[in-house]
Amino acid sequence: MKKLLPLFLTAALLLAGCGKSPEASAGATQASGGAKKITVALLPKSKGNAYFISCKAGAEKAAKALGVDLLFDGPTDTDPAKQNEIVENWITLGVDVIAAACDNKEGISTALRKAQSKGIKVITYDADALPDARAFFVNQATPEGIGYGLMDEAARLLNGEGEFAIILATLTAGNQQEWLRHIKNRLAEKYPKMTLVATRPCDDLKDKAQSEATALMGANANLKLIMNICSPAVPGAAEAVKQAGKAGKVKVIGLGLPSENRRYVKEGVTDSIILWKTEDLGALTVEAAVALVKGTLKAGDKSFQSSAMGEFEIKGDNLLLGKPFVFNKDNIDQFNF
Amino acid sequence: MNRYFRELSVAGALLLVLAVMAIFAPGFFQPQPLLSLATREAPTLVVACGMALVIIGRQIDISVGSQFAVCSVCAGLLAAQNVPTALVALAAVTLGAGLGAINGLLVAGLRLPSIVVTLATMVTWREALRWQRQGAFVNLPDSLQWLGLSQSAGQWTLVGLAVALLAVLAYVTRHISAGRLVYAVGTDAEAARLAGIRPQVVTFGTFVLLGTLTGLAAMMNVVQSPQVDPKSGTGLELKAIAAVVVGGVAISGGRGRLWGVFAGLLLLACVAPALTHLHVEAYWEKAIQGAIILLAVVADGVRSRKSNR
Repeated sequence: MKKLLPLFLTAALLLAGCGKSPEASAGATQASGGAKKITVALLPKSKGNAYFISCKAGAEKAAKALGVDLLFDGPTDTDPAKQNEIVENWITLGVDVIAAACDNKEGISTALRKAQSKGIKVITYDADALPDARAFFVNQATPEGIGYGLMDEAARLLNGEGEFAIILATLTAGNQQEWLRHIKNRLAEKYPKMTLVATRPCDDLKDKAQSEATALMGANANLKLIMNICSPAVPGAAEAVKQAGKAGKVKVIGLGLPSENRRYVKEGVTDSIILWKTEDLGALTVEAAVALVKGTLKAGDKSFQSSAMGEFEIKGDNLLLGKPFVFNKDNIDQFNF
Repeated sequence: MNRYFRELSVAGALLLVLAVMAIFAPGFFQPQPLLSLATREAPTLVVACGMALVIIGRQIDISVGSQFAVCSVCAGLLAAQNVPTALVALAAVTLGAGLGAINGLLVAGLRLPSIVVTLATMVTWREALRWQRQGAFVNLPDSLQWLGLSQSAGQWTLVGLAVALLAVLAYVTRHISAGRLVYAVGTDAEAARLAGIRPQVVTFGTFVLLGTLTGLAAMMNVVQSPQVDPKSGTGLELKAIAAVVVGGVAISGGRGRLWGVFAGLLLLACVAPALTHLHVEAYWEKAIQGAIILLAVVADGVRSRKSNR
């Protein structure tokens, strides 16, 4: 009996396969008949990441609305070599357009150029490739947008006056320095009654951010707000404020994922989380990709008219998603990434 | 006096820092913030005690940060499944002991250099965790925080536990034969062997003990927050080794006291909050900590040259 088991299993599989085949062939005829459906291939940095899963949700909605096929594949872990492999597969498959979030700028650009040489359109989103390897970059947030967004939100919460402190990842990281510069510019030009009393690094660690926030509150009796510009620092600072019994007295804002901060936002410890809407990023990427294939989006355009989300600005070859989004108590439950 | 010179000088430096703070930033001495800072450092103290024993035994373990992260995440995942806190703690400690035993087997069993072995395990555990978690936090049930106690009771418990462990280990290493074996092996493994000690067993034991303490420290950290960061423990090995070296333990093995390590840890841990209170730019923090370590190493170097002459 035992020997027969594999036989049964094989038979069962064959039957199951037969059962499916008519459907599949019907699908194939449909696709080949009439106008060819556009296929958009969306490449995330890693496909298990909540951030990109949320991008994908938006991309699927847009693909459905536009009547195009969407392929979504990426490395399980961030892996530049695996990204190249997937792009190569898509070239063989002959997709119409590839939209890539690049893990390694230089690494993937060769594969993307190859795709372009085979007549496949290429755009990037979230993280750019080299400029000659793609037509457009869907830019989710400019450093200025992030810096101004954080500073304006801090000023709104404090009514434009009071002391605040910043916790950042490290004092050397390039993006952190650039955001810091824009925050300071905005502070100097618009909010004369606000004072930045300290800037502390947390080495991108939640635990260290918690210690730093504790020390900051001890050292600055009039501290009204802690602004965190790296994502682990937001829950770290929130926990410190909560433990010090200063929820509401010392406000917490920062750049981060809603899922990591939901608890503190609901408890009223963290006031707002600033990030772009990742679903919109996915949707805009697909819309732009389709427009590129259809020829309605081309180099030199100054704006892009989306069918579902209105008009977006184009700066050079960057399609801008716009101002960052503010997550707070009222809306955070609508977002699950 | 001379015997304790090294430990006393660290304690003196610590008192000096506290005196400076008392004059220039008396706000430093508020009970609640100080208790919070002590609680944040309690897990590091537990790891530093284990590290001191490994270093006294003339080995080193740079994988403790990764062990800490693995234990933290596993404890978090178990707690998220509503496993009782006591079992979660037991699992974290056992896992830590297991990870320590792997290092111990490779170092003592195969006689490989501990810095290379633990460099390899450090990278392996850290990357395995990165692959498994993809950087995602583990959310914990509310009942786990402060072991289910109130906040201040929980904080006192953690600080008390760390100090009690320190006291027990300090006594054991100086006054119980098992502890003295570590000094014997660290001073001269060959002489220890001729005296009837099995150095490999002692070395293995110190690694297992360090792993166990690291697992406990991970648990002590997990209960301080409702989320586990899979990157937690990054840089912990440096903090622990720095505290050990500053506290007067000779990196060449065989010499040092746990009380000195305690003083060394407090001195280093004071730097960051002290600078925040004095409103000094954060750029200075690592430089000052580095200078303290350098001073300690130079002092040791000068001393051993003098005694050799």
